[in-house]
Amino acid sequence: MASVLILTGSPSTVSRTAALAGHVADDLVAEGHEVQVLHLRDLPAEAVLTADTAHPSIAAAVRAVIAADALVVATPIYKASYSGLLKVFLDLLPQSALQGKAVLPLATGGTVAHLLAIDYSLRPVLVSLGARHITTGRFVLDAHIDHRSGGPVIVDDATIACLDRTSAAFRAELRSPDAQLSALAAATA
Amino acid sequence: MTGIDEPLRRRIAVVSAGLRNPSSTRLLADRLGEAVGRALGDRGAVASVELVELRDHAHDLTNMLHTGFASPELQVALDAVQGSDGLVAVTPIYSGTFTGLFKNFIDVLPEGALAGHPVLLGATAGTARHSLAVDHALRPLFAYLRAVVVPTGVFAATDDFGHSQGVRQDDDVAPLADRVQRAARELADVVLSSSRPPAVDSFDDPTPFEQLLRGGGPAR
Repeated sequence: MASVLILTGSPSTVSRTAALAGHVADDLVAEGHEVQVLHLRDLPAEAVLTADTAHPSIAAAVRAVIAADALVVATPIYKASYSGLLKVFLDLLPQSALQGKAVLPLATGGTVAHLLAIDYSLRPVLVSLGARHITTGRFVLDAHIDHRSGGPVIVDDATIACLDRTSAAFRAELRSPDAQLSALAAATA
Repeated sequence: MTGIDEPLRRRIAVVSAGLRNPSSTRLLADRLGEAVGRALGDRGAVASVELVELRDHAHDLTNMLHTGFASPELQVALDAVQGSDGLVAVTPIYSGTFTGLFKNFIDVLPEGALAGHPVLLGATAGTARHSLAVDHALRPLFAYLRAVVVPTGVFAATDDFGHSQGVRQDDDVAPLADRVQRAARELADVVLSSSRPPAVDSFDDPTPFEQLLRGGGPAR
């Protein structure tokens, strides 16, 4: 089974993005994967902004990224792009931090008009960091996420079905021979 | 030889890359063209709006990509775009970006043809999901061409055409008619403040026949 790190890039403490990530995390855990969640808002702000990789929290976060077999990167869409919080963290990673890894991009936003941000803005950044395989991402409307009641997180049936497909494709990738070879290479490196 | 009380003439070319007939891209192109004409009229200019329907030139465009030569009909279209004072360019969004037909037309334009050219960008698609294609796909292309693109790009989803009077309920986006007008005003302002010399239509200012008979050529 794979070790999966989930990054959430929302600065809000009560976050739809984190709720969405949690929904996908449940699928991964149910399949036996080892899941760790890193809410980037919990990192010390000054250390993130100054790229202080010697700071113990930052160093631990970077190690977690490098150690993971795969990542889920979840961000709110602000001004038609990923959040600044996500980008400041990605900026302090080594250039090849995602080498050999499968990545699932997730995004939340207020209007479907910003759906393409996942492919036009987030995907190129993940490519630049060396991701081996970026599986099909998913954009979820804010209105379809219930992050407050404690009940089901996704409240739209069509969205649940879409997310199931997205999540299943990512999990299938984690089982692929490519993924197992990459994990082996990382373990012996 | 424009006199002081001669009206200010401006030529607008409208390129529509819709493939079907009838085409919602053509519908948006027509609305944008009319709105730009009105906006120029409001500013005291006389606008002539010329439509270039790329669908009609699809075959010639492909030939030109292979041979480097434009058919007479395509050359008229290319001249209309290059000779205009402002361009409205509208394309359907296929696979999240402009169509191949649209890109073929851009590809056959001579280098620098649109440098400094005022441009209004428009796009259509079945749903609002591909709205960002205007900013992520079209704008970088026109940045490469060094065109002066107005800030408002107009994206119209199919149901925008039915909601031109009111705000769509699921969104706080201004109705299509408002976006068309705002973009048209922006293009009219850029066209009129542009430092490029206005496009000259050689048919607007012919050498008088008498002058030719007296042996005088066109005034230099």
